[in-house]
Order: sequence, then C-alpha cells, then structure tokens
Amino acid sequence: MFAQQVAAAQPLLIGLLLLWSSYGKIVRQDSAERTALPRLVGENRAAPAYRAVGVVEAVIALALLAPPVWTVEAFAAVALAAGFTGYLVYAKIVVPAASCGCVGSSAKPIGHRAIGRALLLLATAVTAATATTGWWSAGSGALVLIPEAAAFVMLSAELDRYWLLPLRRLRLRITHPLSGTATDGIPLVATQRRLLLSPAYRAVDGLLRSDIRDYWDDEDWRFVSYTARYDGRRVTAVFAVPHHDSTPESVRVAVVDETSGQTLYRPTVPAAAG
Amino acid sequence: MTTTINRRSLLTRAALGATGLVAASAMGSLAPEAAFAAASQYPEAGQPDPNFAEGLIIGRNRDLLQVRGSDGRMHRIQLTGVTSVWKLRPTTLDEVRIGDGMYARGVLMPDGILAAESVWVNIVNLTVGITSIGRSVLNLDHHGQNVVGHVQPGLTAAVYNGTPAVSDLSMLEVGRHAQVIGAWRPGTNEIDIATIYASN
Repeated sequence: MFAQQVAAAQPLLIGLLLLWSSYGKIVRQDSAERTALPRLVGENRAAPAYRAVGVVEAVIALALLAPPVWTVEAFAAVALAAGFTGYLVYAKIVVPAASCGCVGSSAKPIGHRAIGRALLLLATAVTAATATTGWWSAGSGALVLIPEAAAFVMLSAELDRYWLLPLRRLRLRITHPLSGTATDGIPLVATQRRLLLSPAYRAVDGLLRSDIRDYWDDEDWRFVSYTARYDGRRVTAVFAVPHHDSTPESVRVAVVDETSGQTLYRPTVPAAAG
Repeated sequence: MTTTINRRSLLTRAALGATGLVAASAMGSLAPEAAFAAASQYPEAGQPDPNFAEGLIIGRNRDLLQVRGSDGRMHRIQLTGVTSVWKLRPTTLDEVRIGDGMYARGVLMPDGILAAESVWVNIVNLTVGITSIGRSVLNLDHHGQNVVGHVQPGLTAAVYNGTPAVSDLSMLEVGRHAQVIGAWRPGTNEIDIATIYASN
C-alpha cells in the first residue's frame, strides 16, 4: 500500500524537475554550444535539437502533472531519463570539456554528480511507471519526495551556491583551516615588490638580465641577487632590503664581479628624507 | 655549500657597502648606459622572439635541455651557472627535470642553442574561484575545471587587495575570485601555490 503511494507520488517530482530543466533549454538557447550536442548532431542542428529536447521535457512534465493518469507518461519519462543518462556518459567520454546542459546555464563540465542525478531520475521514473493512481491521491507517500528532492538538490552543481557555498562560508567563520599560517617571515614576493619600487632598482634596471637567482636573510636584511651584464661582462647585482625600514630609499644595491670579488658599481642613492 | 656561503658573504658585504669600489679609470666607462648595449638579438617584426623559448622538457644532458615547444618547434636550452631558475621559488639548476614545462629567456647563440638567463619551471598564472578551503589545500575552479592548489607552509603568500604580501592565508574566503601564481605538478590538475591574489 505504502509502496503504491510512493510510486504514485513520483510523477509530481519528475514533472517539476523536467519543467525546471526544460525552462533553461527553451529560454537560454546559447547554452547549446557549450554542450556535446554540436559534436553529436552537427553545429547547425545543435540549437534546434537542444530546444526540441526542452519541448519534449515540457510536454512530458505537463502530462505527468495533469490528470488523467496514464502509464504511458511514466514510460516516456523512463525513456527520457535513460536517454539523458546515455547522453551524459557519451558526452563525458567523447567531449570531456562539454557542459552538461541539463538545467540552467552552468558551464561546468559533466561530473559524476550530473550522471548520478540522471540515474536518480531514471530510478524515480521507473518507480512512477508502477503507479496506478495520480500523485494528488498519494497521501503520506508524498513525504518520500522530501528526501528525494534533497538528493536532487545535492546532486545539482548548479545549486551549490545557494546551500553548499553558504555552508562552507559559515564553517570558515567558525574555524578557518588556514588560521595558523601567519608567521613572522616576510614572503619573497613582498621583498621583491619593495625592491621593484626602489630608486636602487631603477638605477640598475637596464643591467639586469635574469629573474631572482638567489636570496637569503642576514640579520636585519634580506639579500636578493640577479645576474647582470656590465661592461660586456657577466656580473651579479645584489640588493639589500632592510626588514624594518620600509622606505624605498633604504634599499641598497651593488654590482659585483664574482670572479674577482670586486664591486664595480654602486649608485649613489639620495638619503632617505627625515 | 661552502661556495654558496662564500658567495653570499661576498655579496652581503658588497651590498652593504663594506667593500671598496674599483676605480672608474681601471674599468672604462662606469655609466650604466654604456653597459646597456647587450649582446642579445632583437626580434624581427612578425617573427618569434629569438631570445625566448617555452615548452615541455623531453631530454636533459647535463645542463643542456631538449624542449618541445607548444607550437611544435624544438629548442635546445643551455643552463649556466648564472641562470636564474624559478620552480615555486628561486632554486637551483638540478631542480629542472624531464617532464617539466618551462619558459626560458636568454640569448640565442649562433649554433641555435639558447643560453638561458632566466628559466621559469612549471609556472602557471590562473584566474580562479575558490570553491573550498582545507588544512593544506584550496580547491579552485578555473573556468569550470577543478584545480587542487597545495599550500606550502612558509612559502605560500597571499596578497589582499593589492597590499604587500603576507604569509597569513586566513583571510581567504570561499566563493571569491582570485589569481594564483604557482607551480604545476606535471601530469596532474594540482599546483603548489606561490602567491594568491585575493580580495577581502
């Protein structure tokens, strides 16, 4: 008896789902090109085919929702769900970058969730095919639709931003997994930025030939070395960036010939104001 | 190791001004402009830049790399003692391995070998959305493609709203857009994050 009621309730869920998905297909036709349809039926026929699927979905949905109760509606839904599942598996194998095109205009590629959702739709449609009464007389069997609908929502990547993202945000607010990452160490990219903005860098910019070759900390300074060319020779430009003085003028530079150990050039930088 | 320490101490003293400057007369012109005339070739209009190469490293013989470019061209790239190597951080020549992707800039020699001055290994620059945050990884959505971004303690830095980079990643939020500079782990959809630029 209860199984009968559950089966009878299914057309309501399937009908609403198909209406939702047909709406996206009929209204947002530009989504067709992101799916695997251009590959399956040709570039020119992709958009009409996409819309045709939407129309078929809408017709089946309305037939399921409206009286009288025909078993043939449920079988049409079974065929449609089986078609979706087959199409998604085909698209995932042949055109992995294609979007699902299932509902809405998500550009995400087909994932396991989309295939799982199609399988769930297939299962509900098969259950619906055993119904003998309409969903309006399902009684307590309709309660089963609540967990089923929840499962559909959880399998729909399109809806993540309405429930999954807020949940994750809430979790971060309670305890952020990366809250222990702050250290006293200064990231190299912060040093590099100060260096790039310094008069010392401008003074030797034209000599530099490489990206950062080496860097190290020594007491209150961070040192950063570059390969440079000076007077036709390979030399090293070494910058000294103080940890505790953030003025651009505090950055120093020297151009050094490493083979002889001689300092070849050290620009005279105006002393820091104040 | 000893050479690295000697090298660094020499450079440390030089940068802080503890060493004397060679007299200008001994060295010829000391103006930076005179040194500007580098020996590199200049690209011709419409032609590929001769001083640049990119691709996948398919062979390495000591410090000579065989690289297959994404346009199908083959490159030979010579690493030298003065080549800067970036692989998540400035590192050493032996970190460059077969299977890595790379970008190189240097000077094209007459024999067709590019003498590299800078090499960036596996570097990626991605615009992403942050989909979830874990203890050591960020799940990133790169135009519909899932990318796993590994956080490297002590290395991964964050830039919030364009302010100077910090090591504190606790202001990252899910659902936000971000830009990530990182090092790709070859053959996977995973990267190690060097810098993440985000808003908060």
